Amino acid sequence: MSIERKFQIAAYMLFIAVIFAAPVFGDEFWLNRISKYLVYGMLGVAIALTWGYAGILNLGQGLFFGLGAYMLAMSLKLSSLTSLQQGSDRPVPDFMLWNAEPGAPTELCCINKGSFLWLPFQSQSVGLVLGIVLPVVIAGALGMLVFRKRISGVFVSIITLALVLLVRLVMVDAQPVTNGFNGLTDLGWLTIGGIEFDPYSRATYYLCAACLSLTLIGARLIVETRAGMILQAIRDDHVRARYLGFDVSLYQVFFFVISAGIAGVAGMLYVVVAEFASPTFMDLSFSVTMVVWAAVGGRSSLLGACIGAILINMIEAEVSETEALVEAWKAIIGLIFVLVVLFMPRGLGGVAHDVLRWFVRRRKLGKAFPALPQQSEAL
Amino acid sequence: MSAIALTIDGLSVDFGGFRAVNNVSITVFDGELRVLLGANGAGKTTLMDLVSGKTHSTQGKVFVYDTDITNWPEHRIARAGIGRKFQIPSVFRDLTVRQNLQVANCRNPSVLANLRFGFSRAEASRVDDVLALTGLEAEHGMMAAYLSHGQTQWLELGMLIVQDPKVVLLDEPTAGMTQAETRKTAQIINNLKGRHTILVVEHDMGFVREIAERITVLHLGEVLAEGSVEDIERNPKVREAYLGSKGIS
Repeated sequence: MSIERKFQIAAYMLFIAVIFAAPVFGDEFWLNRISKYLVYGMLGVAIALTWGYAGILNLGQGLFFGLGAYMLAMSLKLSSLTSLQQGSDRPVPDFMLWNAEPGAPTELCCINKGSFLWLPFQSQSVGLVLGIVLPVVIAGALGMLVFRKRISGVFVSIITLALVLLVRLVMVDAQPVTNGFNGLTDLGWLTIGGIEFDPYSRATYYLCAACLSLTLIGARLIVETRAGMILQAIRDDHVRARYLGFDVSLYQVFFFVISAGIAGVAGMLYVVVAEFASPTFMDLSFSVTMVVWAAVGGRSSLLGACIGAILINMIEAEVSETEALVEAWKAIIGLIFVLVVLFMPRGLGGVAHDVLRWFVRRRKLGKAFPALPQQSEAL
Repeated sequence: MSAIALTIDGLSVDFGGFRAVNNVSITVFDGELRVLLGANGAGKTTLMDLVSGKTHSTQGKVFVYDTDITNWPEHRIARAGIGRKFQIPSVFRDLTVRQNLQVANCRNPSVLANLRFGFSRAEASRVDDVLALTGLEAEHGMMAAYLSHGQTQWLELGMLIVQDPKVVLLDEPTAGMTQAETRKTAQIINNLKGRHTILVVEHDMGFVREIAERITVLHLGEVLAEGSVEDIERNPKVREAYLGSKGIS
């Protein structure tokens, strides 16, 4: 095993150890906040997978995040106390009652025209399953459409960007079903196998940490397979890959779907931690922000993009809560982005990689010319 | 007589009224090395595009052995046994030389079949053989982006060899090469002779003499002549159209 490989494995293990050890260092409020950042870390991985490894810049990753979030939020909404206390045997979301026409039955089936869509969500497992299935299915359909047509580069970005805005508009417009701009708030807790995930508990933090770790390891393993190598080959030269007999679009769709699945799970976790789902998840700025995290962390490094997402959010929180910087914090964050893009085009992951290579080379030269350290410097 | 490896039957393509390739019929036998000659604009590269699926023909048929591959999508034509080297060398720049060859070595093209790690010993030794054949052993761990022009061409040839197609299409494999590099390329190609059926587009006459058995001359999208190097040199029509009055020099 090469030194680089050993270092990589060590870096992944160290990162996972750190996030699992974090609860020792802070209170519940802090943990809840870090949980959110871990969710953002998953988004960083999802972006790096498509952008760095597949060369597909998705500017609408928020779509998959938002869909995952809404699916679980619908289930959690129905299990909240307020939904259960609307004078009906079965739960009805409060906002539907507020806006109900006079005389409308207080039943989920027919309180308004679209409310029947909520019926299956009375079971939390439906929300959990759809939270990953819906993003995957939509990504699959979109991918088949886009990549079969051999659309690539900036055009994919434009299509994904337009799509997330379109879906956002629909979500806001379907107010009777989705509560429009206000989103879904006042949610119940996720319960799996008798464990209640109180957003301010260690259990929830560990759930996020475990999901992030599995995502990281899983994504890393999958890019290490032959398929991952072929995907990178396609990124470099899809024409060449095609003439080697690979159906390029299938590879692109496959990894696009995996990335969407990760974003869907991240969306669900976010709902568990933050206790709301809102159309802002599908704001253009949020999808672009994810890309910035990945750029700062290093898009060609899964761990780098993940750390980038977490780090930027920690800095952002720190700077925006420092009294002296309250007015200037956005400028400071912006400046960091500009500097990183200018001086570290491959992000933190790229810098780590370069430093590592430099050490390895020095060690090799040191072994080859043990008596001539100065000369090795010159080489 | 050996089997026919590649049949091009009355192939034409019409680009909005301009016939870049017009009613071209060529048969290449199993194991043969055929050189396509012709001036710029004669339709050589277009013909390769038509065979390999990059461009769709408007008339005619293409067969690999008995399989009709006319206007199939590129990856299916590749799987049917046609490999292609481009005029502008194209390799996977951010992968190492070895990885480039490994990608070409993935026999099963489906995504799910490739969701596994590593390569068998037989597959690894095949890559090693090709590294030796193309003289890229020392560079095996290098990013393909850092190779010289000649090395990039050899890597692409190496990928074709690993891919092991029945029919190999080479579009100007020596373009931009020094004399020494050209000679080495000729060696690699001569090494392939017999094992693969090869169709080469080439301008460099020294190189053509070194490798050619039979030559097909294209002119303005049509087949002008076909024969051995000597036949072609003596053919008055070819002289007039392409070689000028001085012959092959």
